[in-house]
Amino acid sequence: MDFLLDYISVNTFWTILLMGHALLSVALLGAITHQAAAVFAPTRTGVNPGFVSHFRSVSGPRYATAVCVLWIIAFILGGWIYAKYRIYVRIPMEQEGFWKTQGAFELKEHLTTIGLGLLPFYWHLWKNARHAAFEQARKWLTVVLAVICWYAFLAGHVVNNVRGFGL
Amino acid sequence: MNQQTSNTAQDLSPAGTFALVFGVAFAILYVICDMAALPLFTYHPGTGRIDPGFARARIDEGPAMYWYGWIASSTLGALLAGGLATLLPAKLRARIPSALAWLIPIVLLPVLVYSLKFYWRWE
Repeated sequence: MDFLLDYISVNTFWTILLMGHALLSVALLGAITHQAAAVFAPTRTGVNPGFVSHFRSVSGPRYATAVCVLWIIAFILGGWIYAKYRIYVRIPMEQEGFWKTQGAFELKEHLTTIGLGLLPFYWHLWKNARHAAFEQARKWLTVVLAVICWYAFLAGHVVNNVRGFGL
Repeated sequence: MNQQTSNTAQDLSPAGTFALVFGVAFAILYVICDMAALPLFTYHPGTGRIDPGFARARIDEGPAMYWYGWIASSTLGALLAGGLATLLPAKLRARIPSALAWLIPIVLLPVLVYSLKFYWRWE
């Protein structure tokens, strides 16, 4: 990656990574929220098709692979940025006494890691979506992953607001 | 509870059993590795140094990071657990509830919040 630094500054490089991480997270958030809505509150037949009905009437299985891929890439980028965060973001936050913000961010790292480990089973459940025996597991695992994703997004957003871009 | 609505791994393929046990074991092992300080390695981002196992931060070399090491430790353990689960007889595999996949993260949440108690302070 060093050749890139011949063309862009170090700050720009890390800002691009952070922006990429954020954009992938937004895409992931959209995908898993649609899927969770579809599985948690499926569209009823005969209901007037408004915004909410359209929002939750997606085909859940079609989202499973995208959710896994987006989660993995966002996680890898986040893990890469994390080393930089540890020195250039967390230490200044400690000096400023933003303890709860840091705690919320640490919790985000823990939850997204646990979510990562559950992705193979999540994918398996959705690839066998016709299997009625696992309907409850599929539904609740999707909802849990969606909640983790929302929490991670908000916690990351708060940390970014505290420290901002440019590291 | 009939077979159609049963919430067990009775109809899971070996790959499905592996995925379920891997996910559950990974979550549990990750929390254990975090709370018991059991990283496979320690990364020092200031210098790029990697030490095996748990290593404290060195003076004038910046902080030490254990997160990568926790992930590595729990991945190895979960791979082993998942692999062993596929060797179980079908009758035993059928008794592994698939609900563990979403229940375990919920159960572990208060443990994780407690493990971060250092940060929940008003000052």
